[in-house]
Amino acid sequence: MITIDRVSKIKGKTQILYDVSFEARPGRVTGFLGPNGAGKTSTLRILLGLDRPQTGTALVCGRPYRKIDRPLTTVGAVLDGSGAHRARTARAHLRWVAASNGLPGSRVDEVLEVVGLTGDARKRAGRFSLGMSRRLGLAAALLGDPAVLILDEPVNGLDPAGIRWMRGFLRDSAAQGRTVLLSSHLMGELAETADDVVVIDKGRIVLHSGLADVIGAHRTLEDAFFALTGTEAGGPW
Amino acid sequence: MVSPIRAELRKLLGLPTARVALVLGTLLAPVVVLLNAPYNRRALAAGTLPDPTQLGLRELGVGLIGALVLGVVVVSSEYTSTGDDAPGARQLTATLTAVPHRLRLLAAKTVALVLVVAAQAAVTAAGTLALTQALHGEYVPMPAPARVVAVILYWVLTALLAYAITLITRNGIVPLTLLILNSTVVSVSYLLTKVTDLAAYLPDIAGAHMFLRTEDFPVELAPVTAGLVMTAWVVALLAAGAVLFHRRDA
Amino acid sequence: MNTARAELRKLLTLPSLRWTALLTWAGTALLAYAYGVTQPRGDATALAPLGYAQAGFLVLGVLAAAAEHQAGGQIRTTLIAMPRRLLLQAAKDLTLAAVTLPVAAVTAAISTLPAGGGTWTPAATAYLTLTTLLAAAVTGVVRHALPALVLLLSLYFIAGPLLRARFGAFSAYLPDTAALDQSRGAAATITWTVTALALAALTFNRRDA
Repeated sequence: MITIDRVSKIKGKTQILYDVSFEARPGRVTGFLGPNGAGKTSTLRILLGLDRPQTGTALVCGRPYRKIDRPLTTVGAVLDGSGAHRARTARAHLRWVAASNGLPGSRVDEVLEVVGLTGDARKRAGRFSLGMSRRLGLAAALLGDPAVLILDEPVNGLDPAGIRWMRGFLRDSAAQGRTVLLSSHLMGELAETADDVVVIDKGRIVLHSGLADVIGAHRTLEDAFFALTGTEAGGPW
Repeated sequence: MVSPIRAELRKLLGLPTARVALVLGTLLAPVVVLLNAPYNRRALAAGTLPDPTQLGLRELGVGLIGALVLGVVVVSSEYTSTGDDAPGARQLTATLTAVPHRLRLLAAKTVALVLVVAAQAAVTAAGTLALTQALHGEYVPMPAPARVVAVILYWVLTALLAYAITLITRNGIVPLTLLILNSTVVSVSYLLTKVTDLAAYLPDIAGAHMFLRTEDFPVELAPVTAGLVMTAWVVALLAAGAVLFHRRDA
Repeated sequence: MNTARAELRKLLTLPSLRWTALLTWAGTALLAYAYGVTQPRGDATALAPLGYAQAGFLVLGVLAAAAEHQAGGQIRTTLIAMPRRLLLQAAKDLTLAAVTLPVAAVTAAISTLPAGGGTWTPAATAYLTLTTLLAAAVTGVVRHALPALVLLLSLYFIAGPLLRARFGAFSAYLPDTAALDQSRGAAATITWTVTALALAALTFNRRDA
């Protein structure tokens, strides 16, 4: 269960988040949708304790991230990049992450298997392709078998097989009772995966409800999105 | 050939680290002259200053660090990762896509570096020596133009030395540590001259002979010889760096 | 505990740190030989190579701290796994000290023992270790390896000697005096290091990742 309540954030001189509030419930996949620069990543970073908001709270299972003991057993987060140092091997990277939360070394091999990186375990993270880096990031997130999954653009860089795998994996996770929050701007993908949708534009939440309701009068999620965020379809970025 | 050079100049002058190095490297020597002024004035009046004719020239050494950083950063900036997503990607990819002929690229980089460092050296030499004249003119004669040219040459060669080593090692840590360590009052090279006379032919020791006279060195090199020795070192290292750059994967 | 174990693993699996240690040992041995051949035995000769060896320890601290901030975004992984920042900072500092100590001890031994300065080995070891911690703290604030290194090397090898030559009184306040003049400077080194570590911890705790 994720609860974000009236979060505002000022970066330098600009306000980038205005009173952002929404929930992500267990057993459901919540899609976090918005144009580039809308504030998706900023919100997730606040949720994960990386940045501090000026006002508001962001709670995971009722507690702020920094106060959770052994957080990787509660939350698994996949942000951009692999999160690993270039010169370290994939296995060495996962081993220190596992050690940080008191997780047994056997979990490393298990998660490598799940994401399909067993053969590349001895390769240095700097040599990974885009897709491999994403999978390494996911592997690290799964080490603690967490109840909450937070993913920022998870299918970025994955090939079609990988995208399908990810979609199935996320839906299964939700079906098992996990809370899944993923941010994306791939409309079609989100329409196939999400149960609830939160739309953010220029730092404000413009809509938060079930997928069917969001589409509502429009034909597709894509139409709904452009109508809600006021971006010109086909215009410049 | 002009386009790649202009591109390299833009790239270099657009790097924050390079700008800081440029400014600091230019200001350091005059500032040191200012700070030392009271002490030097007294020493000159009392006649206790060891070698008055070298005042001003000696202080220029302090600004060398700017030239060193410029030489390093010209190359190291190509090898830093451009983003988190694929840490293997580097600026070098974009550079080589624009200018695929590698030796031409290196030539452009070298020219850009030489231009920037020579300009910096000229400005700081002029400033420092003018300041020295203004403060201590009665005791310190204006150095011969040939010596000033030698100083500028020394700066450029030092920057090229750093540049060549960075080409070979592909990261800035090794050349910076080695060369800054060596620019100390008692440099490692100087120490080695005590062990073996051969050390007098190390690039920085030889180079200093181009414009400084000191009794401490075991082997006295005429300025022109010194210049040639240092240039030989730089050329050799540049050649090695160029070969490696040409053959390696980007 | 867990955080310390993770930080230890990180340090031990970073190849650049091993190389730095090896190169520092090699360089110190070379210098010890050079000094041994040209200077008489004694305390001064025993400690002189350390004036240069400390550069290696600066590099060690810079590389260890900068590893978090290189591309790849490791700092995010670290903070997500271990979000309690003061605890994390403390664990980082302690594990770095623990890993540096043996490297420093070997370096000190290479430098002091051949010249008969064995009594100085423990103090030298402590000094070198503190130097690494200082460098790591500075790099934690600056967050980039090259600028941090230029800053530290300039302070130790350019600004330091200049200040010492001109204003003798400054000597007692510079961090690297302990390497050159063994009777004073210990307090300065410790103060500089502790202050830097505290500053780094505070900024780390408050800043965005």
